[in-house]
Amino acid sequence: MTSTLHKEEMILNLGPQHPSTHGVFRLVVTLDGEQIVDADPVIGYLHRGTEKLAEGLQYTQIIPYTDRMDYLAAMLNNYALVHAVEYALDLEIPDRAEYLRMIVMELNRVASHMVFIGTYLLDLGAMSPFLYAFIERENIVELFNEICGARLTYNYMRIGGVKWDATPDWIDKVRRLVPMLREKVKMIDNLVSGNEIFLNRVRGIGKFTKEEALNYSLSGVNLRSTGFRFDLRKVRPYGIYDRFDFDVIVGENGDALDRYTCRLREIEQSLRIVEQAASQIPEGPVMGKVPKMIRVPAGEYYASIEGARGELGAYIVSDGKDKPYRLKFHRPSFVNLQILRKLLIGQNVANLIAILGAVDIVLGEVDG
Amino acid sequence: MAEETVTPQKPAKPDKPAKPAAPPDPRTEAALSFGRGIKESVDEIFGAGTVVDVTNSKAVPVLLIEAEKWRDVVTYLKEEKDLAYDYMELFAGTDYKDYIEVAIYVYSTTHFRYISLKTRTPRDNARLPSITPVYAGANWEEREVYDLLGIEFEGHPDLRRIMMWDEWKGHPLRKDFSEFDNLPERGGEAKS
Repeated sequence: MTSTLHKEEMILNLGPQHPSTHGVFRLVVTLDGEQIVDADPVIGYLHRGTEKLAEGLQYTQIIPYTDRMDYLAAMLNNYALVHAVEYALDLEIPDRAEYLRMIVMELNRVASHMVFIGTYLLDLGAMSPFLYAFIERENIVELFNEICGARLTYNYMRIGGVKWDATPDWIDKVRRLVPMLREKVKMIDNLVSGNEIFLNRVRGIGKFTKEEALNYSLSGVNLRSTGFRFDLRKVRPYGIYDRFDFDVIVGENGDALDRYTCRLREIEQSLRIVEQAASQIPEGPVMGKVPKMIRVPAGEYYASIEGARGELGAYIVSDGKDKPYRLKFHRPSFVNLQILRKLLIGQNVANLIAILGAVDIVLGEVDG
Repeated sequence: MAEETVTPQKPAKPDKPAKPAAPPDPRTEAALSFGRGIKESVDEIFGAGTVVDVTNSKAVPVLLIEAEKWRDVVTYLKEEKDLAYDYMELFAGTDYKDYIEVAIYVYSTTHFRYISLKTRTPRDNARLPSITPVYAGANWEEREVYDLLGIEFEGHPDLRRIMMWDEWKGHPLRKDFSEFDNLPERGGEAKS
């Protein structure tokens, strides 16, 4: 009887407009009943040609463009470019600038992870955690607004330091924010992490091993969820991360639940760094001695940092001028998304959004 | 008698003493000598001239590899136990005026070392062996280089445009790309 059963595959288009694809992302899924036979991600809807534009701009002028790549963690994007140029020039950054950078970068990582928690749970169908996460994130975004004038695209870092100094009042607000955020994250943890429906939906979904993760060049939490302890803040310390005391969170199984848990625990570690930095911040200038026209010596340089979504790096090829000859960003969401096809084949279509959400992509970064 | 304008003679500038050359940075030297060691072993296995040049980018050795042996050398460096470069961190293509260059940065998670490998291909009929069979993470990166720079990767399982749409003509990241070249495809008027 089953041999005469007429079966046909259906092509389902999760079009670029979709509430759960974290941006303009298209996924062409071939279904056999409820099972996914093939999944073809189509990207490029948000490609703005940042790398081509950068070839005609001075290094400081490129910084606002980097804001728009991973717009949920713009401070880290700014720092990726600025750090690459400073690494090429061997610049010395004043201490106060480094501490300010540390505070804003880690707070931005917390904000980005809160967006992840909110939107991931919203994708899975839970409406309330989204609002809980965003209301706590609002405190961080308000602080950023105070220090640099913008809520999302900060344009705060400069080559050699930061643009605006922080008042003692602002540092005080940061100090008072940390215990409050800690409590709220614990509350979200209590509300969500033990929920049976949530656990059944994400446990064992989207698994990959450490060898597959290394082969697919995954980075960030996607790599650490397999149990491989690789955090660029510890492996290749940059800035002043070696002065702070924090742990690297690793998962065990490499499934979506581990990725959620890792990001939740990373918020606590980032808050530890912010606490230490806010208590140790010295006085001083916020901009180092930088020539007026920043020229990177001829050659090629690559420096990467631990972004909110993985390894965020800038590869600069310079011919000695004040504009880069080629600027290529290693965008973690772009590289991490490659494993999606492999994770989806064989799964039920109901697990699709749970797998996609756990990779934690931002389309601005995928397309660049 | 014609007046002679006398230009005041500037006093001769004393010759500046030549600056002593900066002492070589030990990390750069270490990187270069490590790179040369790898060049020797690779040239032994794959033939002399496989590694065309050894340079450095700060403390990272950079090996320039011949285009035809690109996949073989990358496979060797990944599978050889003493080298074990198993984690690819960057894949970038650059258009220099005479050739297009592809550079990768790979990291060894067992020996905690970093190295960069490069290869070049001419601009017309640019093709390179694909390293997707070696590092699965190179899949989309090679598609991006194909789309934006025009290098065809032989052996790539699915070489299509990734950022631009399939009917687009031209390769935007090339230095000679002009945004006024594709107007009919974009719905505008052809350049008359």
